[in-house]
Amino acid sequence: MGFMSQTHVSMASQLIREWTGIQQFPSATQTKLLELLGKLKQDNVSTLTILVMGKGGVGKSSTVNSLIGERVVAVSAFQSEGSRPVMVSRSRAGFTLNIIDTPGLVEGGYVNDQAVEIIKRFLLNKTIDVLLYVDRLDAYRVDNLDRQVVRAITDSFGKGIWQRGVVVLTHAQLSPPDGLSYDEFFSRRSEALVKVVRLGARMKKQDSQGSLPVVLVENSGRCNKNESDEKILPNGTAWIPNLVKTIREVVSNGSKGILVDKKLIEGPNPNDRGKILIPFILAFQYFFVVKRIQRAIKNDIAKESKPMWELTSNSILSVN
Amino acid sequence: MASFALPGQLFGPPLNTSSVSRRRPKFAPSFSSSTPSFNCELSSSSPSSSSQNPKPLKFVTSSEPFKPLDSVSKPLAFSAAAAAILFHLSGGGIVGGNGGGGGGGGGGGDGKGGFWSRIFSPQAFAREEESSQSQEWDSHGLPANIVVQLNKLSGFKKYKVSEILFFDRRRWSTVSITEDSFHEMVSIRPGGIYTKAQLQKELETLATCGMFEKVDLEGKTNPDGTIGVTISFTESTWQSADKFRCINVGLMPQTKPIEMDPDMTDKEKMEYYRSQEKDYRRRIDRARPCLLPMSVHREVLQMLREQGKVSARMLQKIRDRVQKWYNDEGYACAQVVNFGNLNTKEVVCEVVEGDITQLVIQFQDKLGNVCEGNTQLPVIRRELPKQLRQGHVFNIEAGKQALRNINSLTLFSNIEVNPRPDEKNEGGIIVEIKLKELEQKSAEVTTEWNIVPGRNGRPTLASIQPGGTVSFEHRNIKGLNRSILGSVTASNFFNPQDDLVFKLDYVHPYVDGVYNPRNRTFRASCFNSRKLSPVFTGGPGVDEVPPIWVDRAGVKANITENFTRQSKFTYGLVMEEITTRDESSHISPTGQRVLPSGGISADGPPTTLSGTGVDRMAFAQGNITRDNTKFVNGAIVGERDVFQLDQGLGIGSKFPFFNRHQLSVTRFIQLMQVEEGAGKAPPPVLVLHGHYGGCVGDLPSYDAFTLGGPYSVRGYNMGELGAARNILELATELRIPIRNTHVYGFVEHGNDLGSSKDVKGNPTEVYRRMGHGSSYGVGVKLGLVRAEYAVDHNSGTGSLFFRFGERF
Repeated sequence: MGFMSQTHVSMASQLIREWTGIQQFPSATQTKLLELLGKLKQDNVSTLTILVMGKGGVGKSSTVNSLIGERVVAVSAFQSEGSRPVMVSRSRAGFTLNIIDTPGLVEGGYVNDQAVEIIKRFLLNKTIDVLLYVDRLDAYRVDNLDRQVVRAITDSFGKGIWQRGVVVLTHAQLSPPDGLSYDEFFSRRSEALVKVVRLGARMKKQDSQGSLPVVLVENSGRCNKNESDEKILPNGTAWIPNLVKTIREVVSNGSKGILVDKKLIEGPNPNDRGKILIPFILAFQYFFVVKRIQRAIKNDIAKESKPMWELTSNSILSVN
Repeated sequence: MASFALPGQLFGPPLNTSSVSRRRPKFAPSFSSSTPSFNCELSSSSPSSSSQNPKPLKFVTSSEPFKPLDSVSKPLAFSAAAAAILFHLSGGGIVGGNGGGGGGGGGGGDGKGGFWSRIFSPQAFAREEESSQSQEWDSHGLPANIVVQLNKLSGFKKYKVSEILFFDRRRWSTVSITEDSFHEMVSIRPGGIYTKAQLQKELETLATCGMFEKVDLEGKTNPDGTIGVTISFTESTWQSADKFRCINVGLMPQTKPIEMDPDMTDKEKMEYYRSQEKDYRRRIDRARPCLLPMSVHREVLQMLREQGKVSARMLQKIRDRVQKWYNDEGYACAQVVNFGNLNTKEVVCEVVEGDITQLVIQFQDKLGNVCEGNTQLPVIRRELPKQLRQGHVFNIEAGKQALRNINSLTLFSNIEVNPRPDEKNEGGIIVEIKLKELEQKSAEVTTEWNIVPGRNGRPTLASIQPGGTVSFEHRNIKGLNRSILGSVTASNFFNPQDDLVFKLDYVHPYVDGVYNPRNRTFRASCFNSRKLSPVFTGGPGVDEVPPIWVDRAGVKANITENFTRQSKFTYGLVMEEITTRDESSHISPTGQRVLPSGGISADGPPTTLSGTGVDRMAFAQGNITRDNTKFVNGAIVGERDVFQLDQGLGIGSKFPFFNRHQLSVTRFIQLMQVEEGAGKAPPPVLVLHGHYGGCVGDLPSYDAFTLGGPYSVRGYNMGELGAARNILELATELRIPIRNTHVYGFVEHGNDLGSSKDVKGNPTEVYRRMGHGSSYGVGVKLGLVRAEYAVDHNSGTGSLFFRFGERF
């Protein structure tokens, strides 16, 4: 399997196509996107690699398709997506956009370690600029599984990846349950999810306070549109430019992209840790463990209750 | 003044022929006097033999050969109980002179108030006599119920004695023979048949034993023709004493009694007594102090104080007390031989303690003939406790210790440790060690055919090819207990490469020389082994994980230094090749894992450091064990600490450099004081146990520490909790004795300290294991088997286990 993924990478890297899909967007969106790309170029960012991760069936692939403006990744509503990550690369005016769609991380109620492993191998020697952590807005509950997924991501790429993380909530066009306004529902949902992410990422309260942006997405064709034909959220924002804007903000927030190298994949080699200390450990063991036990043995010998006959020699006892 | 003694003889010296009545007045004046100059002295030579070589002091049983030690305790005890005590009161001073005057020429010793003699317990003789005389007896032929003096009895008749009574003239009371402490001196027994001469002999013996001032024997006729014997006596008494001294007179040269010329003038006599007294003083001074502890001294002093006058019974009691102490302490050859210095303020108890004069080591061939042994003597000598060497007092416990130590050499098929009296040195003991050596070389072949279920489930031979073991042993090379042992086991000799197990050991003890007390043993061995790796085991609910076999083959050399029987320090080098294989014996560089889809993927955690499935490495290994546990009525009590270290040297595949260490600490705490002894109940014991294992540096999976299993956390399978770089196990067990066995309850916990991820490939996680777990349960020990019910705390389910051996 690993072998096959490798070939896929080499194939994908050769296939950088012109980003034609951008022309599918309404002109208002196009303008905004080009403006944002220009800003990125100003920041000396000519390549952007976006990693999309999340549980299965939350709309990762659809989001990728929406973002590119093409149907680049097969989406099937009922079937689990392909078990391999896919990278889509598009260039436009000297700017390259790489989006990596990944298979769902959950299988049978557990995080699929193997899927994580495959993703890691796929990402070898790539730099991740942005992580889109995708979940649905219309899920009401967060549970332990969410935390495990986040943890698996954290364990694979390190805590730092969340500096470049964006929480994407799909299926944004919904009518909230009774008695809740849309905004209220959204803020509750995002709050709960962000909390889980922070927990799963073992982020401390103080670090990166509030720096985990939450973006809403609606991939459905039935998505409402505004007068300039842009897909909009129930609050009226056009979501594609909004998403790209957020991505741009994250990229320029001062943190560094995550280079996935061998060390990151395999973790620090535990066999190398502390090796340099071995001579000291050995010395400690000799002087403080072995010597101490030896002393205790000597003590035992001295204290050993010997039978009378072993103690008496002719000279010990004398009469008056 | 002459010293008289009657060791080993029924008859006293010629003196004894003087009539009893004649001796009586001689004693009387001596005892009424307050002269401090009476000596009571042992001499082992009789006056009659004084001109010849002095006879050795004999133990009563010394005529019998000593038995081997394992059966000797009884004979020894017997000999001590039956030991002869020889009193010799050599008279002294002025009063002695008077006595001498009264005694006339009856013999010097007698004259001085004399000598006397012996308390003798002659069961053996009595038995002998009985057996020879138990045929027929003659009726006394006299009217019933008349008292007959001894000399009135007929010399031709055999009298049957119906009963023997003691009549104490001082107390004016009659006692049956068995009730008085004097009975041990009487050799005739009720029901026995004796002639007049025998009865006279008996009286003679009693009269000369020194216990009595006056003693008579008379018969009383019974209607049935038998006679009752009454021994009437006046017990000897001496002036009261307030000091007690015990001296070891073993191996001391006997004072040669100087014949006293009966024609001596009073002045000469006085001179003579004075010199006697001086001699005795000198003798006391020269004598070595006894082993007898102060406590017994005080006890005896107490006895003396309570009593007032020193009486013969008193001396018997002192003798018994002193001998009892010696016996209890295992000084089986010790005997009180004499009381001296009577009629002074001090009682001097003379003891022959049984000093070892020689240690003889003998080899015997199969037929028991003395032969030359292959084993070098220093090898045996170093096993002997020093208390068994020349110059020490023989102790039966030291003998037993020697027996055990020599036995632990496993060089001999038969070992005897015998003490026997030294005939050249009176009171000395020669310790003889007799050994039969085992065959030096041995070889053995055992074969077996495996039976497996065949067609239709019928048992069939797996193949006609035999499996089995070939082993050989060469023991005791050069007589220095070096040995070579080799064995080869295969289940198929025609195709041995399949599963050949071989072992070759060389053991070389006494590295520092056989005379050096430091006990270090060098060992070198070639080995191979095959074990199922507990690292590749699934957690709860995980289906069968494909197993990984770890084959090790290599050489090992180490030195073991024994500090005590249980505490030791071992250090050495190991070079080995480790091969990991899958079920079908193919080399397997990684573990396999079961995919969620049910398939099997081969990209599990790596099995070896090199990643090829074969590792070679050399490392140093050290192990120090401190163990002071002992058994209290069968329950183990004490402390045990073990530290083990494998230090990689950077030699081998991928230059492995590591420090793998384990420390385990176990405490067996006795919760109640109990009386120790055979058959007594063992105490309840609380066991606390901690085990830490850790590794810094290169850690291949086969060296990872696994959690779970009967010696880790009970209630789980081997490795069911995980395989980690660092582990901590804690356990406690409470053992309550019940009848002949004990029941116990335990709580255990094992934890990977979060270090499972630090094992390459994280096998704990790959096989879905928790990395930690606790268990508790109860169990009962049934002989060697432990039956226990353990509850696995992770799943909350319990199960019953049967295990061999101890957990700790």
